[in-house]
Amino acid sequence: MATTVVGQSVARVDALDKVTGRAQYTGDMKVPGMLHAAFLRSPHAHARIKSIDTSQAEALPGVKAVLIQAKLAGKVAKVVDAAHGTSMDFQAFADKKVIYQGEKVGAVAAITRAIAEEAVRLIVVEYEVLPALIDARAALQSDTLIHANLTPVDGPDGRPLHNVLNATHRVDGDVEAGFAQSDHIFEDTYSVPRVHQSYIEPHVAIAEVSPGGKVTCWTSTQGIFSVRSNLTNTLDIPAHQINVIGMTIGGGFGAKWGGVVEPYAVLLAQATGRPVKVAYNREDEMLDGRPAPGAVLTIKTGVRRDGKILARRAIAYWDVGVRGAGSGATVRVRGVYNIPNIEVHAYDVATNKPPTGAYRAPGAPQASFASEAQLNKIAGALGIDPIEFRLMNMREGPEVDFKATLRAASAKVDWPNRTKGPDEGWGIAIGEWTNGNAPGSAVCALQDDGSVKVHSGLMDITGTDTAMAQIAAEVTGQTLDKVTIVRGDTDSVPVAPGSGGSIVTFSMGNAVKRAAENVRQRILAVASDMLEVRPDDLEIINGQVSVKGAAGRAVTLAEVATQAAKTTGGPITGNGSFAQQPSATSIAAQIVQVKVDRVTGKIWLRRSVQSLDCGKAINPMAIEGQMEGGATQGLSWGLWEEMAYAGDGRNLNPGFLDYHLPTALDMPDLESVLIEVPTGNGPFGAKGVGEPPIAPGIAAVQAAIADAVGIQLHEAPFTPERLRAALRAAGS
Amino acid sequence: MKTAITLTINGEPYDIIVEGRTRLLDAIREQCNLTGAKEGCSTGDCGACTVLLDGQPVASCMTFAQAAQGRHITTIEGLAQNGTLHPLQQAFMEFGGLQCGICTPGMILSAKALLDQNPRPTRHEVRFHLAGNLCRCTGYQKIVDAVVAASERR
Repeated sequence: MATTVVGQSVARVDALDKVTGRAQYTGDMKVPGMLHAAFLRSPHAHARIKSIDTSQAEALPGVKAVLIQAKLAGKVAKVVDAAHGTSMDFQAFADKKVIYQGEKVGAVAAITRAIAEEAVRLIVVEYEVLPALIDARAALQSDTLIHANLTPVDGPDGRPLHNVLNATHRVDGDVEAGFAQSDHIFEDTYSVPRVHQSYIEPHVAIAEVSPGGKVTCWTSTQGIFSVRSNLTNTLDIPAHQINVIGMTIGGGFGAKWGGVVEPYAVLLAQATGRPVKVAYNREDEMLDGRPAPGAVLTIKTGVRRDGKILARRAIAYWDVGVRGAGSGATVRVRGVYNIPNIEVHAYDVATNKPPTGAYRAPGAPQASFASEAQLNKIAGALGIDPIEFRLMNMREGPEVDFKATLRAASAKVDWPNRTKGPDEGWGIAIGEWTNGNAPGSAVCALQDDGSVKVHSGLMDITGTDTAMAQIAAEVTGQTLDKVTIVRGDTDSVPVAPGSGGSIVTFSMGNAVKRAAENVRQRILAVASDMLEVRPDDLEIINGQVSVKGAAGRAVTLAEVATQAAKTTGGPITGNGSFAQQPSATSIAAQIVQVKVDRVTGKIWLRRSVQSLDCGKAINPMAIEGQMEGGATQGLSWGLWEEMAYAGDGRNLNPGFLDYHLPTALDMPDLESVLIEVPTGNGPFGAKGVGEPPIAPGIAAVQAAIADAVGIQLHEAPFTPERLRAALRAAGS
Repeated sequence: MKTAITLTINGEPYDIIVEGRTRLLDAIREQCNLTGAKEGCSTGDCGACTVLLDGQPVASCMTFAQAAQGRHITTIEGLAQNGTLHPLQQAFMEFGGLQCGICTPGMILSAKALLDQNPRPTRHEVRFHLAGNLCRCTGYQKIVDAVVAASERR
């Protein structure tokens, strides 16, 4: 079906506000009487708290509240983090023990941030420092427990493993039989560091509590309803007493979900009777954000000499800090390949480091790196082209076309004819993801001037407001400039899923499309009476309802709205709901060209090409933006980023000076190719696209380095130091 | 100790009270109520706080407010003239040079400083001059496209 607005690369509907500085982020807000918060954080990764004395802090002029766990006794004092797949509750503040550097021991609300920070320094805490478990392998062998209730689990070799929070086991087929049938067996271990999502806007929230106990919370979040649920579960406040208002968000990438700072804003607002702003700075983010876990994966793969993969076993240890989950993603070593025998044993290991959370395609970059790097190695060992190797093992099916996606990237670089100069190389990798789906509703209302409003709780992080406007314009027949997306708060709109998991274009797109179709049907019914024809004889183009083939006979949407108010049906308002319809898998393929400087070990990115199956490109420019951003994050994870810790657990790079993010100068031009294999359940066939693009970058750049200088690096990031060391060891 | 100073921002005088340690970023945001400049890192590494001082980009989180007295400060709010957008603002919208937008005010100001002294930069020169402005969303591709497009329209 040809579309007119859907499929256009129109500018973001919020772009004007953002380029003029008018967009309101949470930190830009001032609420009258607002106080500012600062946190007392543990300097030690593991210590007993012997005493806390807040008296000097409380006496400082300008301080309105000092909270520690003891002062919350009798009130609910736990923070629930179910959103990130961890069911362990934890206290708002540590009181007997601290288990990571940066853990909150107390909070101050004061009339300025500077006074709050000064008050924090006046809180006297006596610590008894304990040995810290920083390395996951050490934690697995140690009798010291991060959490008292952890019992040992059996490891893959039968020996007990300690400090395991969770384990994932999966057995499909019989890998030993598969290995026995294989002509070649490969076993390799790969490691990926913990990285921080590094959204440029740190966590921030403002909370106000009315005398009757009603909570209003303005926040930077990917999901206003997830924040409301979190506050309900954490602080035992009924949901209908909480209103969460989502402000413009300065990046999230999975981290801003369900309440990292909001509970503290509410606790301080309750304690002071005034609005309180809790704004993390960058150091707070690095010490107490929810970064992505690092992992060590060992993969054993058996192949036939012709390249057919017969069996794969993966054993993985995910360093999740004091809380978190990652082991489940290890099953992605299957990828989109037909592998008849797969076995996975993966463990979430606790260490004395900050808890971990979701980062764009959680677990996929880590697992895809190990999986794809080894597949590239195998292809090389067998003398098979790495693209052909993948094509021959890829599965096919309805609503997917992995081969076309991979071939599109190959064609873009003319892979069979690629050339390389000295110390240059090409690498290819893919990553797969299936966008999620989640329940949501939207309301579409025709205004009396014929314009259209769409009301929902959707938080726009990737440009989805624009996609929703395009969908509503396409379906109602109104022009895009007369369609307004109105983001409501949890009081004013029906439930919407949080923006993550590549869920919302698919889920809310369907809800908005259904609401718009509701509106369209009513428009046609009213117009058919006005024009005295059947609804089937009408079309809506550019805000006019006209008789097909008789353009002179038309009414405007404004006229239809006026007429509708004169009928018993009343004003034209439609609603749409969505839930429980699955999408189909897509892959992101990435081909990277590098040049290596053998003397310094520096790796120069020359070119990056990415392809992606988006189902239906509602806004091609926006989708390219997701591909370019995700590809950059993947490459950065492979080349530059790493949260570094000293042996005693202190974070060594808690800021952007030493935590290396790519600049415009580090990145080459990024070339994107879109494939469209529609999914039956997606609005206009669309699939979610936010996440797949980050998955292949680490493996793609690793393969390019191997192609350039013959070195297979197994430990990301692939720093000049590591490459130099490997080159020296290889005799270069 | 509090002092009264005057900051000239986008051609307008702002009379405010600051301490010696007050950062220019806080003076602009909190007292002049111009919130386009953002705080991303607090250590002068991300560029989200970029404003122009006499046409040159500076990290306002690493500049004392008092040091900006007597200088011409340009913030994002001063770019559009009489309701007409600067070509950079127009190009960023049209070419998708922004997603979450938090880096955008700083990025556009750095680009403006570049175009004011080098009206037709190469893509490499654009990347070089924007290397002090971090963006986590875009991968910079469409930012470079936008700046080059804006340069071709002036």
